[in-house]
Amino acid sequence: MRALALIVISMCTALGPAVAAAQDAAELRKQIEQLQNQLESVTERLKRLEAQPPPAPTAPAGAPGSPGVAAPPPASTPPSAMDLARPRQPFGLYQQRGSGQLLFDMGIAGDFVGNVTQRNVERAGGGTFARQENRFFPREVELSLFGQIDPYASAVVRFEAGEETRGAETTVHLAEAYLTLLTLPYGTQARLGQMRNRFGYSNEVHEHDLSWVDRPNVMRNFFGAEGLQEKGVELTLVPDLPFYIEALAGIFTDDRNRSTILGWELRYKYRPDSWLHPLVTLTGEWLYSLRKADVGVDVDGDGAIDRVDKRQRDHSGAYAGLEVQPFRRWAGGFRYDWSQYPTNPGWEWAIEPYVTFWPSEFLRFRLAYKHTDRSPQTRDAVNLNGSSARNVDELFFQASFILGAHPAHPF
Amino acid sequence: MLSAIRPLLALAVIALFVSPVGAADKIRVVATIPDLKALTEEVGGKLVDVETLARGTQNAHELEIRPSLMVKLRRADILVENGLELDSWAEVAVQGANNPNIVRGAPGRVDVSRGIQVLEVPSTRVDRSMGDVHPLGNPHYSLDPGMAPVITQNIVDALGRFAPDHRVEFEKNRQAFLARLDEAMARWTRAMEPLKGARVVVYHPQWIYLLSRFGLSQAATLEDRPGIPASPAHLTRVIRQMKEERIKVIIVEPWNDLKLANRIADEAGAKAVVLASMVGGVKGADSYIGAIDHNVNALVTAMK
Repeated sequence: MRALALIVISMCTALGPAVAAAQDAAELRKQIEQLQNQLESVTERLKRLEAQPPPAPTAPAGAPGSPGVAAPPPASTPPSAMDLARPRQPFGLYQQRGSGQLLFDMGIAGDFVGNVTQRNVERAGGGTFARQENRFFPREVELSLFGQIDPYASAVVRFEAGEETRGAETTVHLAEAYLTLLTLPYGTQARLGQMRNRFGYSNEVHEHDLSWVDRPNVMRNFFGAEGLQEKGVELTLVPDLPFYIEALAGIFTDDRNRSTILGWELRYKYRPDSWLHPLVTLTGEWLYSLRKADVGVDVDGDGAIDRVDKRQRDHSGAYAGLEVQPFRRWAGGFRYDWSQYPTNPGWEWAIEPYVTFWPSEFLRFRLAYKHTDRSPQTRDAVNLNGSSARNVDELFFQASFILGAHPAHPF
Repeated sequence: MLSAIRPLLALAVIALFVSPVGAADKIRVVATIPDLKALTEEVGGKLVDVETLARGTQNAHELEIRPSLMVKLRRADILVENGLELDSWAEVAVQGANNPNIVRGAPGRVDVSRGIQVLEVPSTRVDRSMGDVHPLGNPHYSLDPGMAPVITQNIVDALGRFAPDHRVEFEKNRQAFLARLDEAMARWTRAMEPLKGARVVVYHPQWIYLLSRFGLSQAATLEDRPGIPASPAHLTRVIRQMKEERIKVIIVEPWNDLKLANRIADEAGAKAVVLASMVGGVKGADSYIGAIDHNVNALVTAMK
């Protein structure tokens, strides 16, 4: 408004000499004084308005005693010249609501892990975080974008950055990008793109959302450190039954060896009524892998492989976890792992007690100890670089945070 | 490919034969919170079969998404939600229910906050340093009986869209309910008249609509900031303020730490009173009017 008044005065001042010939100078002076007075009045009013605190919330509409229909919200007024002239931040997501809002949600999750273990384990690269032993590193920093595409579909896109090995540069990759068709008939939904497969609880959950510092051994042994992520199509069916059952079938392009994996899962939560968090959580999964592996055969006993046979290698693994959360901000628990390897001989077991502290819903710290014992037949992680990682003791520290929106997980 | 899909086909066939019976002729409505269930039942009468996702004793801000919630949503014709980000957890359950009737944007998805004059809408930039703030404003409007006309109007619209032949009946039910609510409102207003201008402390800032309706105001919260547990220093300040201002009541939700509230109340010479934050939140608060009745009576008794 002040700018507008100044412009008006400038125009009057510019026009003044031309009009002065025809008008009385005193008349012109009077007009200028009036305009100056108006300007001072507007300036004073603007100062008062700017000095006032934000308006207090108004009382709900409808007089007490008569629950009449509440008045509609006041219509938004167009921005004034001052509003337009006022400097604005170039990018302020939370300042603009309503029609100026982003049409999708975005959030960042950060997950940092530190671990301490024996020197021989570090040399062998046989720790839980192989080639990252005795380090503190960014395991996963994830940018998530998600929301509705249109009335028929939603989409999720996630980029992940992390340090995968010691000294390596931080890499960024597309972790997930898929769309979900929401309005298919007969209780079906389809998901297309690149996604974490819904194969068990712990595979679908991202690193920062896990109930433990690390993925269970059986998941890492069978699916790799990142878990099972594939490109393809997933179709789910939830029939209209008195109980919940979800059937899922998928077709994926798989770069790994063909194998059939059967899985069983149990998850139980006890949350006392009116509690804000579960008191007890029990989790367990068991995987059974049916795989034909290439095995070299020495027919004549000369030490050289004469032919490669396909042999059945059926291996399994499982984990079970118990978590107790007596307080809203604190939880403690442990996980027991037992796992064979998908093709190699041998097995390992591990126990991992931990304690978790949440200063808030969006910030979490975790401290854990893990002892791993590998059988003598284990080829991996023994006698590497002249060291052994058969018995491993590790101390973990984890710090995770969430910035912005974060999609919730069921169960 | 065929072998992968065969189990799905088998389940689909089973579902055709084992579809639930009994509620086929009723409109199946799921409400996210018990208040909206109660109001939908008032409007829908015998024509609706209503279930709720949250229970009255739970914290409606954070709900554990369980398979049982997805079962309810799988067969819903209409989902009535509170909106203003109170029940955004419902989206996770909807995604697991595979029900196109109630996905976001579908005619069966109803946000009853439409038309509500929302209080405590932030007028400045907000972020999580302020705790679990609601950027769209305070979502607990159903605690104010004066908001029921707007809420029930939205419910009538939703039910009328689904069953246009019964719209007149829904409106008739609504008017009958509002008439009863008017009578109750006169009673509540008389009872609360002596408390006008009184200040109370709340555990969590969710009572602004109820307090504003009857002319009371909120002096402080036991939570440091919304959703953030109180620090000892904050509690000390609250006790001092309560003593200085002679505040007599701390309002507690059923899911709050009642022991802490009682301790603060004892030190400040006040009373901690548990109100029904939703229908079913406390014993006897089994209907919408019953819940407001309980809250008004509890406040009046505590502030005598």
